[in-house]
Amino acid sequence: MRARAGGRRSFRTWLEARLNLTEIASFLSVFGLLPAELDTRKPLREALDEALSQPLPSHARWPRILGILSFILFLVLSVSGMMLSFYYQPTASEAYGSVTSIARDVTAGTLVNQVHHWAATLLLLILAARIIRFYFGGMYGRSREVIWMLAMLTFTVATFADLTGRLLPWDARGYWTTVRAREVTDALPIVGPVFSFVVGGPGLDSLVLTRFYVLHIIVLPLVLLVLFYLHFSSARRVGLSAGAAPPSNRSLRVTLYDLLLVIVFLIGALVTLAILLPQPFDTAADPFTTPPGSRPPWYLLGPHALLESFPPLVPRFLRGAFLEALFAAVLFLPFLDRRSGERPGRRPMAIALGIVALLLWAVLIWKGWHLEASR
Amino acid sequence: MKAAWIVLPALLATASVAAAAEPASPAAPRGVGGMCGVCHSEVRVQFEQGIHRSEGIACTTCHGGDPTATTVEGAHRGGFRGAPRRRDIPALCASCHADVARMRPYNLPSDQFALYQTSQHGQRLAKGDPNVAVCTDCHGVHEIRRRDDPNSRVFPRNIPSTCARCHGDAALMKKYGRADNPYADYAAGVHGIAFLKNGSDAAPECTRCHGSHGATPPGLGDVEKVCGQCHATTRQYFLEGPHKKAMDAAGLQECATCHHHHHTPPASVEMLDRVCLQCHAADSAQQKLAATMKTMFTEAAQEIDRAHRLVEEAGRIPLYVEDYKARLEDARTSLMESFPVMHALNPSRVEPHTRRARSIALEVSSEIHAKLAGRFWHKVGLGVFWFYLLLTAAILVRARRRAAAEGQR
Repeated sequence: MRARAGGRRSFRTWLEARLNLTEIASFLSVFGLLPAELDTRKPLREALDEALSQPLPSHARWPRILGILSFILFLVLSVSGMMLSFYYQPTASEAYGSVTSIARDVTAGTLVNQVHHWAATLLLLILAARIIRFYFGGMYGRSREVIWMLAMLTFTVATFADLTGRLLPWDARGYWTTVRAREVTDALPIVGPVFSFVVGGPGLDSLVLTRFYVLHIIVLPLVLLVLFYLHFSSARRVGLSAGAAPPSNRSLRVTLYDLLLVIVFLIGALVTLAILLPQPFDTAADPFTTPPGSRPPWYLLGPHALLESFPPLVPRFLRGAFLEALFAAVLFLPFLDRRSGERPGRRPMAIALGIVALLLWAVLIWKGWHLEASR
Repeated sequence: MKAAWIVLPALLATASVAAAAEPASPAAPRGVGGMCGVCHSEVRVQFEQGIHRSEGIACTTCHGGDPTATTVEGAHRGGFRGAPRRRDIPALCASCHADVARMRPYNLPSDQFALYQTSQHGQRLAKGDPNVAVCTDCHGVHEIRRRDDPNSRVFPRNIPSTCARCHGDAALMKKYGRADNPYADYAAGVHGIAFLKNGSDAAPECTRCHGSHGATPPGLGDVEKVCGQCHATTRQYFLEGPHKKAMDAAGLQECATCHHHHHTPPASVEMLDRVCLQCHAADSAQQKLAATMKTMFTEAAQEIDRAHRLVEEAGRIPLYVEDYKARLEDARTSLMESFPVMHALNPSRVEPHTRRARSIALEVSSEIHAKLAGRFWHKVGLGVFWFYLLLTAAILVRARRRAAAEGQR
């Protein structure tokens, strides 16, 4: 035993003399997986021991795990998405067949496919929940403006990643959801034309599918990665919610175990959802037949309903401009509301406004859903 | 030449646009129409749309007269016949179209006149009935187009509307003691819907059953032969059964008695509940036989439906269902085969087909059930997965507690 342990130590020392293992490990902390900084001049074990016995910073404890949870989901999506891309063929004629074959013929293909679906759904829900939490916790003022804006941008980019992913199976539901979603994005001035230009035109053909594919697997994940990095970087600079959290004497090592527990249960939840609530398969997309009840995805139902709520005289680009103004108002909220950062009880106006906005959002989703059912 | 100078101004004043377009050389016959088109410009335009013009047939071929004359009196002289009387038209057309030597280069039949004389139209015409169809009623008078010209009245797709010009006229048909409207009936029947609405060329128009030049309703005992041109298998089984002899003896039109001759409803197994009762009593052995065949059919059809729903459900999961779909198609084919066989009125002949359809569907259902049951093991696997997950969690909680205790120290 002693000889083996000694051997292992000597191998680490051997490697340590040639590679800065601590620096490599510090990449983890860059992305917030390890909520502490490693002293890269020290050997790995020493640096880890030192970092892990530090008292717990205020973040990384429930419910301050939404950020890290979303990043873990992003990793799950990356891995499962990469596995799907081994079999997926991004052309209009092959896409549906290849997705069907992934789900039917490839070993564990259904599981990977469904885990990818559920991870994406959970990621969007968690990112939305994070924004809501930041708002009601007043955590967007006093040096946290960047974090708030990053949270908003992450959610927006993630919805685009979700949107581009929905088209890829080239099934009837995905195809027509994308058609309806593009009716919303096309109404937006500047953003709409730019998006249209990037995906290669207003239609939905094989070339647009290829662009969606590239956006979905390369461009948007990279943007998300950068946003996650900036978010964690900013969080390390200003502290996650220092004002509100009581100081803790628990060490980082304990927090790391908490994190592992969260990951275990997250993976459990994903696999359970994938097996018990699989997304049923639809028929192949037919550009000439609109199935009844084709709607934009849930995050665009509100904007969709809002666009349709205007009196018919208002031109469509003005409605789109109103949507963009609303988005800008929320994005730049920290600069509009300087009283944030205080306890909820001390800013009743902001809380009331938030509740009204949430209710309005729910009503719009309800309306957006029924716009199609009534046809 | 002098005459030309006198006529030219008058010609220019009266000629139609069509006539003026031709180079003016009044001394020679102008085109195949000669000078006739100068006055009969409308007729000339019609004639030039037709096939006869390009085959060197002139106005005078049918009407006589002098095509080179430049006055009305001069033109209408010299064997001028004017408009032929209706009863003379078939013979007039036959003067060329019954001529084997003349028709041979066109590969056209030359027996139409002979056929026409055997038809109801021809026979009534011979008796002096002026209302019946003569050649020009279907083919046009001056504007006679080729049969494969879509603007022709005898183009296959136009035939039902051409026949309906008379046979859809209730007042005219009443004179012949016919109260029905064959065109409306045909249009509402399965053949009419297939031909007129769905554009199927496999479905018959009027002439496929009645003939064209020799058009006559099929006689008693011949209906099964006419229908059997397309429904050959059904006819074969029908001739095997007892109905042929019995219906001929009773003076019933074979197929049409149950299926109706123009207003043919789509064949369905529900017909077995109704049509047999037209002749057989509700408690008769024959009606019981019909009920037996219906039961065989519906049992198989229900089994196929059930299997089909299961296949759809499994396909949505998605399981691999392509081979099940192919086998169900096979089952449906067997079921369809039982329709013609029913005409032999022998359940033991029907049974192999319905039984095969039913057993294929049952097989498919049970195999899909087995596949769906396999998904039960996914849930068992999920249970095992959670066992190990909770085990990992327990180990982590233990390690965490130890770390927390160390931190306290």
